[in-house]
Amino acid sequence: MAEQNNKDKITHVDIRMYRMGTGDCFALIFYAGDTSMYKMMIDCGVWQGKQDHLEKYVLDLKEYLGSEIDVLVVTHQHKDHVYVFEACSELFTKNFKAREIWMGWPENDKSTKVKQWKKQYGEKKAALAMASEKLKSAVDSQDFKNQFALEAGGLGILAAKQSFASVVQNFTDLHVSSGKQVKEDLEGMRIVKEEIEAGEIKYFSPGDIIDNIEKATGIRFLVLGPPLLYEQVKVEEGKDGESYSHNKELAKSDAFAAAISSGGQSSYDVLAFDNSYATNEAEHSMAARYRNKDNAWRNIDYDWLNSAGSLALRMNSITNNLSLVLALEFKDSGRVVLLPGDAEYGSWASWHNIKWNEKSRDEKKPFMEDLLNRTVFYKVAHHLSHHGTAKKLGMEMMTNKDLVAMATLDYDVISNTWTSTMPNSDLIKALLNQTKGRIMITNEKGLFYDAKKTTPLTSKIQEARKMMSKAETKEFEKYYVEEPLYYQYTIHAT
Amino acid sequence: MAKPANRKLRGYAFDPSLSLTMDTASFNQILYKVQWEDLQLTEQEKNKQLKDASYVPQGVGPTGEYIEVLDYDPTVDKFYEPVDLNDSYILAQDGLDPSESNPQFHQQMVYAVMMTTIKNFENALGRKVLWAPRRVADYSKYEEYVQRLRVYPHAFRDSNAYYSPLKKALLFGYFSSAPADETLSMPNALVFTCLSHDIIAHETTHAILDGMHRYYNESTNPDVLAFHEAFSDIVALFQHFTFPEVLKNQIAKTRGDLAEQSLLGQLAQQFGSAIGSYGSLRDAIGEIDEVTKKWKPKKPDADDYRNVMEPHKRGSILVSAVFEAFINIYKSRVSDLLRIASNGTGILPQGELHPDLVNRLAGEASKSASHVLTMCIRAIDYCPPVDITFGEYLRAIITADVDIVAEDRHDYRLAFIDAFRKRGIYAQGLKTLSVESLQYTRKPVVSPEVQTIFNGISDFLRDFRREVMYKNDREVIFNTSKTYIAGKYYDKNSLIDGLHHRIFVLDNSTEFEKITGIVFNKNWESFGVRTSEAYKDKQKGPSIQIQNLRLVARVGPNGEQINQIVLSLVQRCGVILKDGMFNGHFVPDDTKALPAGGCIFRGGCTMIFDLDTLALKYAISKPLIDIAQWDTTPQIDKTRIENQYNYQNDANAMGVSEFQKYFSMGLSGNVSEPFALLHQS
Repeated sequence: MAEQNNKDKITHVDIRMYRMGTGDCFALIFYAGDTSMYKMMIDCGVWQGKQDHLEKYVLDLKEYLGSEIDVLVVTHQHKDHVYVFEACSELFTKNFKAREIWMGWPENDKSTKVKQWKKQYGEKKAALAMASEKLKSAVDSQDFKNQFALEAGGLGILAAKQSFASVVQNFTDLHVSSGKQVKEDLEGMRIVKEEIEAGEIKYFSPGDIIDNIEKATGIRFLVLGPPLLYEQVKVEEGKDGESYSHNKELAKSDAFAAAISSGGQSSYDVLAFDNSYATNEAEHSMAARYRNKDNAWRNIDYDWLNSAGSLALRMNSITNNLSLVLALEFKDSGRVVLLPGDAEYGSWASWHNIKWNEKSRDEKKPFMEDLLNRTVFYKVAHHLSHHGTAKKLGMEMMTNKDLVAMATLDYDVISNTWTSTMPNSDLIKALLNQTKGRIMITNEKGLFYDAKKTTPLTSKIQEARKMMSKAETKEFEKYYVEEPLYYQYTIHAT
Repeated sequence: MAKPANRKLRGYAFDPSLSLTMDTASFNQILYKVQWEDLQLTEQEKNKQLKDASYVPQGVGPTGEYIEVLDYDPTVDKFYEPVDLNDSYILAQDGLDPSESNPQFHQQMVYAVMMTTIKNFENALGRKVLWAPRRVADYSKYEEYVQRLRVYPHAFRDSNAYYSPLKKALLFGYFSSAPADETLSMPNALVFTCLSHDIIAHETTHAILDGMHRYYNESTNPDVLAFHEAFSDIVALFQHFTFPEVLKNQIAKTRGDLAEQSLLGQLAQQFGSAIGSYGSLRDAIGEIDEVTKKWKPKKPDADDYRNVMEPHKRGSILVSAVFEAFINIYKSRVSDLLRIASNGTGILPQGELHPDLVNRLAGEASKSASHVLTMCIRAIDYCPPVDITFGEYLRAIITADVDIVAEDRHDYRLAFIDAFRKRGIYAQGLKTLSVESLQYTRKPVVSPEVQTIFNGISDFLRDFRREVMYKNDREVIFNTSKTYIAGKYYDKNSLIDGLHHRIFVLDNSTEFEKITGIVFNKNWESFGVRTSEAYKDKQKGPSIQIQNLRLVARVGPNGEQINQIVLSLVQRCGVILKDGMFNGHFVPDDTKALPAGGCIFRGGCTMIFDLDTLALKYAISKPLIDIAQWDTTPQIDKTRIENQYNYQNDANAMGVSEFQKYFSMGLSGNVSEPFALLHQS
C-alpha cells in the first residue's frame, strides 16, 4: 500500500506549548519538507487569567496556525483545558475556523448513554457547587468561628477549615463556570460545540484509528481513551506501588448530593428514616442539650459538609479520566507522540486492554507496551501530578532513547490546591532520567526538584541534560525554541 | 432486689448485610451483655444534679456513665427520638429488634458495642477508662474533664466514621451503597456505618487510645498512625472472636478446614470485607488462591516492614502479626482436643463433628482471642508516650505479660515474638530477639543522688495512692490526678506540692535525665524547652507535661496481682533544621508561627512504679536527650529529629493519601480531624 505521493509525506511536526499558566494549549503544524500540510490545535485553557492577558497568546496562536485549522481537539471539560475559549471567545468565534473537531465519546450529547450519564454527572456537579457554597458561608460565619474560640490551638483549626473550604471552592471552579447553570457544560466547552465555526464534530472511543487523513500522509492517530467502561473511568490511582487506592464511586455521594440539593426541604426521598422517628425539635428531649451554648464546641452542624471534599475528588478524577487520549504515530518509523490530556491511572490501565485489529509492531511485546516503548514525545498528563502518569503501566515503559516531554505547570498561575501535589518528585526524577533532561515546563520558577525544596528544578534539569551525548545535545538545541509566549519542539518522522 | 449484673441487648454480630444470606444469618444476631447501668434518674443522679446544675443525668439516648448517644442528623436537620432502654417492653425483650430502618435500634447498637469495648479495656487495664480531656486555650484551666464521649450515629453522609479528638465525639456516617455484589445489598440502599460491630469497636478504640496517649495521632514516624489504625482493628477483630456463638457455627460447618487452621483467618477477613475500606487492614492475613479458589494465609515478608509506608498497609503488617500469634496460641491450646477426637491419629472421623467438640473448640478459640486481646490492650501502659514504633509495642506486650503471667505455659510470648520476627519487625537497639532481651529492664539502677528525687516522687505517690485508692468516680479520679500533678498551692491549709516541684529539686539532675531522656538541667531553654511557671511559688523550670497518672490494679490468670502507678512525662522542644540536618533550637511559642525550618520535637518517658514498695519498676523512654550516646554533657537526639523531619517533609511519602495531599498540609500540617482523613475513602 504505497502512499499516494511520497513528497507529501509528513517529515516532522512542530509542537508548540503556549505558556499562559497551568493549563493546556498546544498548536501542532505537520510539515512535508518545508511545506506545512496539516494544522492541529489541542485544548485552550488555563487555571485563571484576564482576557487582556490571555489575548496575546491567542493572537500569536492564530497568527501561527492561521485562521483556518484542520482539526481542533478538546480533551476534556476542565477549566484548565477550555477556559480560554470562554475568556477570549470573540477571537475564536470570529475569523476562526476548524475543519473538524475531535472529542471523546462522553461529549456526544446525542447519545442516550451519554445523556443518562451526563444527567447523573450534572447533578453531582450541582451538588458540589452548592456544597462548596454552603461550606464557604459556614466557615465565614461567626457561629462557626465561635466553635473553636475556646479550644487550645483553635486558631490553627479554624485556619485548616478555611483552607479546606477554599480547596473545595477551587475544585468547583474547575468544573463549573461562574454564573452558569451548573448542570450544563462549561462555558468554554459550549462555545466550542456551538459557536466556533467548524465542520463535523467527531467523537472517538478507544480502539479507533484515525487514518488516511487527506493532508497528512504517513501519520495516523490511535485513540487510547477515554475508556468505555465506567469501572475504569472511576479509578484514579493504581493499587500496586502507588499510594492508598481510593474508592471513587460517584454513587457513594448520592445520599450526600441528595441532602445538599434538597436545600433543607426534608422530603421522603431525602430522609434516612421514616418521618415518624423524627421529632419536632421543641419536643425533643436531647435537642436542648445539643443547643446548649456551653456544649457548642462538640456540635456537628458543619462537619457533614466536609464530604464535599471526597465528592470533589471523585468528580475531578472522573473528569480527568474522560480525557480524549491520542497517540500520534509516524507510520514508517513507528515513532509515537503521546497526547493524553489529563488521563489518570484508570485510563492508563485501560489502554493495555484495548483489542486492536492489528498486531504489535514488535510482535514479542504486547501492543500498548510496544507503543509506549516507541514514544518519543510525551505531553505529561495532569501537570506532573503523581496519578497523572501511571508508573509501571506508563512511565516505566517509555524507554525510547529519544524521549522528550512537555508539561504544563506554572506556579504563578495555579490553583493553590495543586501546589501540594504538583510536581510529584518521583515522576520528575523518572522524567529527568528517561528524557536526559529534555523536559520543557511552562514555567520553572518556584519549582523544586525535591520535596524539601532545597534544589531548584532548573538546576537539576541543567544537570540532567549533561546525560545527553554531544550529538543529542546538538539536536536538542537545534529543535528547541524558547519564546516568552511559548516553547516549541520539533519531532521528526525518523 | 439487687441490680442485675448485665443488661442484655440484641444486636448484629457483624453488620446487617450478613443477615441477608442463609449461612450467615443464623449467627449474625447475638446478645450483647453490657454491664448494668441505671440509665434513669436515680437518687444518686439527682444528687449529682443538685451539686452541679449543668450535670446531665443518665437516661434516654442512651446516656450512661461513659457515653451519650445524641441522634441529631445535621444533613436534614432532624433529631431522632432517643431510645429508652429502661422501657419495660424493651427490657422484656432484650432490647429492640435489630433493624436497619429504626434509628432507635441504631442507638442501641452503638451503645451495646461501645460499652462492650470499654469493658474489655477496663478488664485488661485494671482501671477505669477516662476520655481525653478537653484542652482549652485558657492556660489557667488547661484541661477540662470530659465525662462522656458524644456519639452521633447519623452525623454525615459519606462512607466514613471517625473519632474527633477535638469534640471528643464519635461521628458515624451513612451512604448510598454501590455494592460490589448486587445480590447482597440493594444498589442505592443506605448503608449505616453505625450498625457494624467492627466500625464501632474500631472508632471506640481510637477514642480510648487517645485518652491514654494523646500524641499517638501525631505522625512523627511511619509507625504512629499505622499503629493507631492497627491497634483499633486488632481490638475490633479479637473482640469478635470472643463471641463463641459466631465461631461455633463456622467450626462445625467447615470441619475439613480446621486442620489447616485457615478457617479463622478466612473468617477474620470476611468480617473485614463487609465493612469496606476498614477491611484493608486485614488483607495481610490471607488471600484467595487464584488457582484453587481457596483461601490461604499470606506468607509474611520480612521486607514489608521496611518498604510499606501507607498507614493502612503498614498497619496490616501489625494486624497479621498479632493474628498469626493468635492462631498459634489457638493451635497449641486445641492440640490435645484434636488428639482425643482423632484417637491420636490426627485425622478426624468422617461426618459432622461432635457438638461437644465444636463447643470445646469454639470455647478455646474464644478464650485465645480474649487472652490476645487482653495482652494487646495491657501493653499500651508499657509504651512510651510519644513516637511509638511496632518494635516498642512488641517489647511492651512481652514486658506487660511477663509482669503478670510468670509462667508462660502455652508459649504465648514466643508466638508473638515469632510472628513479629517473620515480618521484619524488630526493636531498635536490641541485639537478639528473645523474651529476656525484649523485656524492658526492671528497676533501673538508681544512684543515691537520684534516689533523693525518687524519694520525693515516692512521697508523692504515697499521697496520691491514699487519695485515689478507693475512688470509683471517674471525675474524682481525674480531678485528683490533675491536682496532684499541678499541685495545690492556692490552698494553704491543704497544700499539695505538684509533681514538677518534686522532681525538679536538684541543681543538676543528670541521673534523672539519663533515665528519662527528659531535659531537667538548668539550661533547658538552650534545648528549646519552654519555661514553665507550673512550679511551686511561681518558680521557673523546664516545661514538662505529666499525663496519664493512673493507679492500676490487675489480676493475672493465675491469680497474680499487680498494683502499680503509671505516669508519663512528655516534653517538647523546638528544633531548627537546615537541609534536613539539625541546626539548633528555638523555644516554641504557641501564639507564633514556627520559624523557617522549625519543627516540634517531643520526647517522653512512661514510668511504672510498684504501688507497694513505691520503687520505680520501669522507665520506658523515647528520649529527647540522646541517652545511648551520652557523653559528658547531655546532647539532643539528633538522629531521631532528622528522621522525623525528613519523614514529615517528604511530600511523596506513601503515608500521605491523595485526599490529605489536596486538603491538608502534609504530615506535620495542622489537621483538625486526623482520623477522618485516615478513614477517608
